[in-house]
Amino acid sequence: MRLLLVGLSHRTAPVELREQVDFSRGDIGEAVSTLAARVRSGEGVIVSTCNRVEIYTEADSDEAARDEVAAFLSEYHGISRERLESHLYARSDADVARHLFRVAAGLDSLVVGEPQILGQVKSAYELAADKQTTGGALNRLFHAAFAAAKRVRTETGLAEGAVSVSYAAISLAKKIFGRLEGLSVLILGAGEMAELTATHLKGQNVRSLVVASRTLANAEALAQAVGGAAVPWAKMPEALAGADIVVTATGAAEPVLTRERIAGVMHQRSHRPLFLIDIAVPRDVEASAGDLEEVFLYNIDDLHQIVNENLARRAAELQSAEQIVSEEVEKFGAWLRSRTAVPTVVALRQRFEHIRQAELKRLEPKMAALPPEARARIDEITRLIVEKLLLTPTEQLKASDEQMIQAYAEALGRLFSLQPALADEEKK
Amino acid sequence: MDLIPLILYIGAAAAYARYFASPDRRRGRAATAALAAAALAHTFVIGMRTVQVGAAPFAGTAAAVSAFVWLLALAYLYTENTSDERSMGLFIVVLLVLLQLIPVLNTPMVEAPSTVLRSPLFIVHVSAMLFAYASFGLASVIGITYVLLFKEIKKKQLGIFYKRLPSLQVLDRMNMRAVTIGWTFITAGIVIGGAWAMTSAVQTAPDPRLRAMSIVDPKILFAFLCWGVYSFHLLSRRIGWSAKRSAWLSAIGFVIVLLNFIPVGFFLTRSHNF
Repeated sequence: MRLLLVGLSHRTAPVELREQVDFSRGDIGEAVSTLAARVRSGEGVIVSTCNRVEIYTEADSDEAARDEVAAFLSEYHGISRERLESHLYARSDADVARHLFRVAAGLDSLVVGEPQILGQVKSAYELAADKQTTGGALNRLFHAAFAAAKRVRTETGLAEGAVSVSYAAISLAKKIFGRLEGLSVLILGAGEMAELTATHLKGQNVRSLVVASRTLANAEALAQAVGGAAVPWAKMPEALAGADIVVTATGAAEPVLTRERIAGVMHQRSHRPLFLIDIAVPRDVEASAGDLEEVFLYNIDDLHQIVNENLARRAAELQSAEQIVSEEVEKFGAWLRSRTAVPTVVALRQRFEHIRQAELKRLEPKMAALPPEARARIDEITRLIVEKLLLTPTEQLKASDEQMIQAYAEALGRLFSLQPALADEEKK
Repeated sequence: MDLIPLILYIGAAAAYARYFASPDRRRGRAATAALAAAALAHTFVIGMRTVQVGAAPFAGTAAAVSAFVWLLALAYLYTENTSDERSMGLFIVVLLVLLQLIPVLNTPMVEAPSTVLRSPLFIVHVSAMLFAYASFGLASVIGITYVLLFKEIKKKQLGIFYKRLPSLQVLDRMNMRAVTIGWTFITAGIVIGGAWAMTSAVQTAPDPRLRAMSIVDPKILFAFLCWGVYSFHLLSRRIGWSAKRSAWLSAIGFVIVLLNFIPVGFFLTRSHNF
């Protein structure tokens, strides 16, 4: 049996196709059971995210299994094989491990190092494990992937720093205020950028979110969309005094928040910190307002600069992350190779055990006079001798590479007449 | 005797520096273990000195500084244990190393202290004062890290402090907590010290040091000054001071503590040179 991966990702397929082959979270349990029933090994894990759909399984032959999995994808989603075929990739054995380790570590993600993918891979595996569609090799593969991802996370800075403007703003807010749960947020403007940032902040469970816009209807529409409250523009100064974080994204040609206005509210707010995120172009907040004590002012360029620095830092960590993945793939590869030696080891042990039992049976009449303890002792001693004789060859065999294992298997098969036992093992 | 803890504190400082440069759980635990080992060795040193002197080993500035370092190490270890926050360890342990140099360079005396110092009130007074100073030491380091992080965020130059330190809000809360604890102990220490001086009948005592106990003695004056500064610190937020100003104040307050401890304790006081 070999490990096999068939899938498509943002590297090989356009978003239109990825949307069509996406397994929704509710269906994935049923899908993985259907898949397991189709493939010969009865095993499978489906990793489905917005950027990839990958199926991990065990199979006898690469070609037939690849076909089987492609047919499953095509039939399950009702997409023609021809349309799917050119976007699919397939990997086997150690290449499967390298691919999955890189995916779990975020190395294959659209935004390199993003942390969500590890959670997605983990839940895909847990779902399959719940449906009992994972065997020894798949279990080992996924656990090794989690360990590799953890090493990459802790030993490199690959996942450090925000790499989108919204997350950069949120991580700054967290560095100023700690938890964002008890905070009040004021959004000025009701455009697309305002909505995006408001949605991210709402996701942090802020206490209140107030939207103010020169057109009240727009403010109300955005407030409704993100679950906040709208206030008329005239009420903005009061809202400003009560806010901890202010996001400005209006289309105004002149600054809507002057230094003077902010200085005025700072006194009312007893000098609690105020975080101003100005994502408007032209800017909504007078630059000199940033000089006020306890005012932290970041404009869109500042946030872009943080993002760019973080991206550059991540890129610098790529090499060490790839190095860790290679080390972990090497370890997993050694285990995979040792797995191919298992049938020979089992057959050899059966052969030796068979000889031991036959000899004990042959000597039974002579041992009949011995007390039961002595007979038990003989049984134990002969078993230990067999164990000791087989220990070194077993270790040597498992530590060899694939070619050598095959050569040894042939030699051992011939020397000890293992063929029938091996055939039995293969059948199992 | 104080040299062994000093060497161990230096080792702990190196471990915390390693953790600060590139933090991971293993390095963090190693740093904590190194500091705990240093504090344990220091406990033995203080215990042995107590046995030697036959009383709490606080007499003399050098011995008091040694006890202060020990208390600060314990207070920090407690804070670390309750907050799971190690990034300030480097700053604290560097302070411990610098202060521990004082008892190493000025070996504390080991002769038996005069009888007035054997009073239980004296021991409680000195312990409370030392514990208060240790808390202020902790608050000052937290305050300094607050200011460093504040400047990085304000100037938009996000560097190592941004990466390693907890949020400004957490630092502010820790700072306030350390000052509150320190203020409680310094208040108790001053009250008990006053009570001790009264019961020791200072005016008629044969010991000139006891006769010098008065508000104008530099050591006592500085203790009151500290009390005043930290009382103001606790009130500062209510009168509209920002967290950054309070952080600065806790850093400056500790300078007064150190002045009281070292130059005043060594050279100026006539009442506290036991």
